[in-house]
Amino acid sequence: MGLKDVLPGSGPSATSGGIFGAGSPTFLTSKVDWIINWGRRNSLWPMPFGTACCAIEMMASAASNYDLARFGMERMSFSPRQADVLICAGRVPYKLAPVLRRIWDQMPQPKWCISMGACASSGGVFDVYSMVQGIDTIIPVDVYIPGCPPRPEGLIYGLMMIQEKIRQESLTKHFEHRAEDPALVALPRASDLEVVGLTGPFGNSTQQEQLTGGVAVRAESPSDDLLS
Amino acid sequence: MSQKTLEINVGRQEMGADGLPVPSPIAPFDIPEPDIGTEHMLINIGPQHPATHGVLRLVCELDGETVKKVVPHIGYLHSSFEKLGEYRTWNQIVPLTDRMDYLAPLIYNCAYVMSVEKLMGIEVTERCKVVRVILMELDRIFGHLLWLGTTAIDVGAFTPFLYSFQERERIYKMHESLTGARITTSATRVGGMMADLPEGWIDQLKHFLDTFPDTLAEVHHLLTGNLIHIGRTQGIGAISAADAINYGFTGPNLRASGVDYDLRKDRPYYDYETYDFEVPVGEHGDCYDRYLCRMEEMKQSVSLLRQAIDRLPGGPINVEDPNISLPSKTDAMSDMESMIHHFKLITDGIPAPEGDCYLGIEASKGELGMYLVAEEGSTKPIRWRVRPPSFVNLSVIPKLAEGHLVSDLIMINASLDIVLGEIDR
Amino acid sequence: MTDEKKSGLDAIDEGPTASDAATPTGGGTAGDPADHASVQGLMAQFSDAVMRHRVNAGDQHVVWIDAARSHEMLTWLRDDPDQLYDMMSDVTGLDYGSGRPVEVVYQMYSTTHKHILRLRCELPLDALEIDSVCDLWKSANWLEREVYDLFGVTFKGHPDLRRILMPDDYAEGHPLRKDFPLRGRFSRAEQTRRALNQEVERYYLAEDLDTGLVPQEAPTAEIRPFEDAGGDL
Repeated sequence: MGLKDVLPGSGPSATSGGIFGAGSPTFLTSKVDWIINWGRRNSLWPMPFGTACCAIEMMASAASNYDLARFGMERMSFSPRQADVLICAGRVPYKLAPVLRRIWDQMPQPKWCISMGACASSGGVFDVYSMVQGIDTIIPVDVYIPGCPPRPEGLIYGLMMIQEKIRQESLTKHFEHRAEDPALVALPRASDLEVVGLTGPFGNSTQQEQLTGGVAVRAESPSDDLLS
Repeated sequence: MSQKTLEINVGRQEMGADGLPVPSPIAPFDIPEPDIGTEHMLINIGPQHPATHGVLRLVCELDGETVKKVVPHIGYLHSSFEKLGEYRTWNQIVPLTDRMDYLAPLIYNCAYVMSVEKLMGIEVTERCKVVRVILMELDRIFGHLLWLGTTAIDVGAFTPFLYSFQERERIYKMHESLTGARITTSATRVGGMMADLPEGWIDQLKHFLDTFPDTLAEVHHLLTGNLIHIGRTQGIGAISAADAINYGFTGPNLRASGVDYDLRKDRPYYDYETYDFEVPVGEHGDCYDRYLCRMEEMKQSVSLLRQAIDRLPGGPINVEDPNISLPSKTDAMSDMESMIHHFKLITDGIPAPEGDCYLGIEASKGELGMYLVAEEGSTKPIRWRVRPPSFVNLSVIPKLAEGHLVSDLIMINASLDIVLGEIDR
Repeated sequence: MTDEKKSGLDAIDEGPTASDAATPTGGGTAGDPADHASVQGLMAQFSDAVMRHRVNAGDQHVVWIDAARSHEMLTWLRDDPDQLYDMMSDVTGLDYGSGRPVEVVYQMYSTTHKHILRLRCELPLDALEIDSVCDLWKSANWLEREVYDLFGVTFKGHPDLRRILMPDDYAEGHPLRKDFPLRGRFSRAEQTRRALNQEVERYYLAEDLDTGLVPQEAPTAEIRPFEDAGGDL
């Protein structure tokens, strides 16, 4: 059972005609979708996972000059259990990665994620041993906001993109879209190959093998054969 | 039918005829306190928490609500700035400095290039000195405003947060018209600045200075005499002067304990000894004194800014040495030698003499030290060390918070004015 | 050994290059001990333990001392009435790479006499140990932990020597050493996997809270009244 079994248009009566059947988005479901999405996108409660400079811009967006309250995001929920959208603002080192993952897992569905700033999206300036090269290796991200830090207008535009994304959601497609396998909790979201692809050194990044006379030590870990 | 009246003594201890207190019918007081075993509770605050001012983790052992022990864990924002600095030339490190203390970026920009210039023996122009003093004092106000807003919100007062952010917006606009960025300014370069002050910037600053003291006075009315605020901050987190020095406290935290140590007065740089300003020194070393010190420092910074504006000289902003400062674009495009200097400066950088240099300046949070080690002719530092004031300030929290309540722990944390970006680097 | 630069931009990609100097002097000019009272005092008191004295960056006196006697000399610097270095501003490490010894650098300040001094101790790579000064200055506690974390220098007598910035079970080594690559020793996938396998509730047990971080009183030094500058408090 569940919502999708009782919604018209998705159950066994899908093939019958009229407003209650004939294909998945029907008149009634689309109206229900419209109301639910309207409610969700206009009362998003952000979970501010602010770490560094982007967090200050996020606070500035919430302050009176840029005012997130007019989007319904007045209540910054610091408890993930009551939040809708996780705004990861700032750089995330590997020490903080399990905390971020746990907070994401604690958020109930429906939930969205905004990666605010260059550091959260891709590691930013910090292509170093301690920094996660983009939180999309750990949690699924819906909207990336570039900038270092992005202006409050940038954050607001990103939130509006989330609102647009919500506007286009549909309850009937919702469950497959949002399903998360509990067995995959606390594992990296991206597979090893994807992580390697996402975090490979750029052509012009500092080439660490050329060191000051020291030996370029690179211990082979069991998964390193993917690199070769 | 008889009516019974029952007189109940509430709040008064009546004495009976024999001189002994009459037992109250509500709460018998002659029963000895029961001996119940209790356990200490372990709670974890952070690293994701609104009141820790960043990604700080405090593990507390509580006896009821009293903190018996607190262990801070840091490193949740470690971005290895110091290692990154070893791979970048002197000027390329300047954008890194913004991202450490993102609450007062210009102070870090200035501190870093001041240290490089001292290492290399470069003397900047008079205009550059005064401009840097202006930017450092402006960012001192900037940093203290954020401290004010977030500390007030920790205590429960929401309004000063909005007021202080409104003032910060005006400073953001000034940052933006100077450098193009609101927070990550990267305004300084070795030997000078990225660009001179734009036209109208000083007027913008004067307008800010005219109206900012009113906002400060308003927040002062809201908080300083407020009994709730006084109750939350007086006597909380006190530290003696000798302890404060030994624990390495610097900045307003140290001055609140009664130690008159301000690097602008004791190891002056950029002619600070010629400016007329006072350094507020507290007495009790508690949260309230730290609050008062910072409020007064903002007022003193306003006065310093006015003096600096008055003495701002004309002239070039960058050192006129083609081996240090970039030549102007017209020169680089028309004159071969300038083109070569430009090329060398961008691709190689400025060669440094062999040696090391530690320069401490008074940042908004305390003594900010930049330690640089270079080898002969190197264009990159061998070691770039930032001595962050908040790192040493935070290490005292176990001592300050012991014996206080959990809500006082939050207040103490807020009053120390820490920023995790510089603690974890 | 200087690397040959392949092209202009490659020079930026490399880390710092060591100079060809066979015996680096430590920079600056040869110092005259008479210019700094503490240096004079140190040389008089511990003449065999002071290796070198230079003046760098114009006016900064740097003294290289013998690491084996560092605690003794630092105690003298704190307690001698003419020195009275009551504030340990900074303790940091320094690794030149190429087999050169790792140095521990102490930056000190006296609030009474208002002078600064920098001390450097060279530690051979096979014996990265030095006495801790936590018993002299409480500010050295976290500063030494950081040097241990990033350089691998063990501080003998430190009450709570464990990693501070990196995770406690960090297996890739000590990051700020010159032979440690910028992007770490493991692949990104391995680092991500290890990160997510960390137990988030480490140091949540009562036993772990007893890791020596007992708040202590500062040693009972005589509390000197601070100098009244003449203004109001």
